Amino acid sequence: MKWISKDVQTFLSAKEYIDTAIVPLYSISLEAELKQSAEAVEFISLLTAQVERQFAGRLLLLPPFTYLKKASSEITAEQLKNWELSLAAAGFQHIFYLTADAEWRRQEEKYDGSFIWLPAIPLESMSDGQKITLVDSQVSQLLPLFTQKWQENQGK
Amino acid sequence: MSKERVSRRQFLSYTLTGVGGFMAAGMLMPMVRFAVDPVLRAEEGGEFIATTQKVADLTDEPVRVDFTFKQKDAWYESDVTQSAWVYKGDDGKVVALSPVCKHLGCTVNWNSNKEHPNQFFCPCHYGRYEKDGTNIPGTPPLAPLDVYPYKEKDGYLYLGKAEPRKEA
Ligand code: FES
Repeated sequence: MKWISKDVQTFLSAKEYIDTAIVPLYSISLEAELKQSAEAVEFISLLTAQVERQFAGRLLLLPPFTYLKKASSEITAEQLKNWELSLAAAGFQHIFYLTADAEWRRQEEKYDGSFIWLPAIPLESMSDGQKITLVDSQVSQLLPLFTQKWQENQGK
Repeated sequence: MSKERVSRRQFLSYTLTGVGGFMAAGMLMPMVRFAVDPVLRAEEGGEFIATTQKVADLTDEPVRVDFTFKQKDAWYESDVTQSAWVYKGDDGKVVALSPVCKHLGCTVNWNSNKEHPNQFFCPCHYGRYEKDGTNIPGTPPLAPLDVYPYKEKDGYLYLGKAEPRKEA
């Protein structure tokens, strides 16, 4: 489900089936890394859209958690923690964060959700065909991460 | 000047209705929204979209066929990609099924669950369908997979808008 009124409506009426939330983490830089920041956003948004299409019935794709690269990492980390707590309180059993920002590696243990790191691949110089192949292959590597998590928990 | 499409008087009356018409619009919203849902609108009129699949290459094993078309949603146009599971049935007729699970809309895969071979499998809540799209009782989906109408043109497969399967 996407964060749009129609999907959210379905979500509300079928909550018991939708136990997974995806939150893209976007680091914004207006300085030297502006370009990388844009590339990462572009790539992650394409990927999350594909993942959402595959698993629309079981997950809710939230609007991205966006923060300034230069902001204090403690404050950013705490804000994300707040998101996590709210999502857990809303009944989500699985939370996935998709990011290209290696900074989160140092914070990872503080969260129950799973981090998925993605390379920031510059798509600009690629043809449409190349883009599709690239995104498809990335997505097919991502999907098992979700199904595995679901299976693990089912066994419990 | 070329001919005006909206006369000034008409335009003025549009702008004026805008204000009072707003509340009426609120009441109509649910119905209108349904009627003009962009997904439905883009494909109305039985438009068929070309795929890169040659009909002659199809076998009795379902293959995934992706196709892309433009969808206009108010002020932007976007490319929408949809998929179909396509194979040739016993009678040699093409069967093109929508991969969208009738439970809550995940994408179903062919033959991806080892315990249940030769079925369509939904990874989300383990919904299953027979090869012909019939939902298997006891799994979450309550209806068979939608079916795409198709056409063959110059050897290639063209797909229309997926429809719920008519009961035989
Ligand atoms: S969305 Fe396919 S079984 Fe629930």
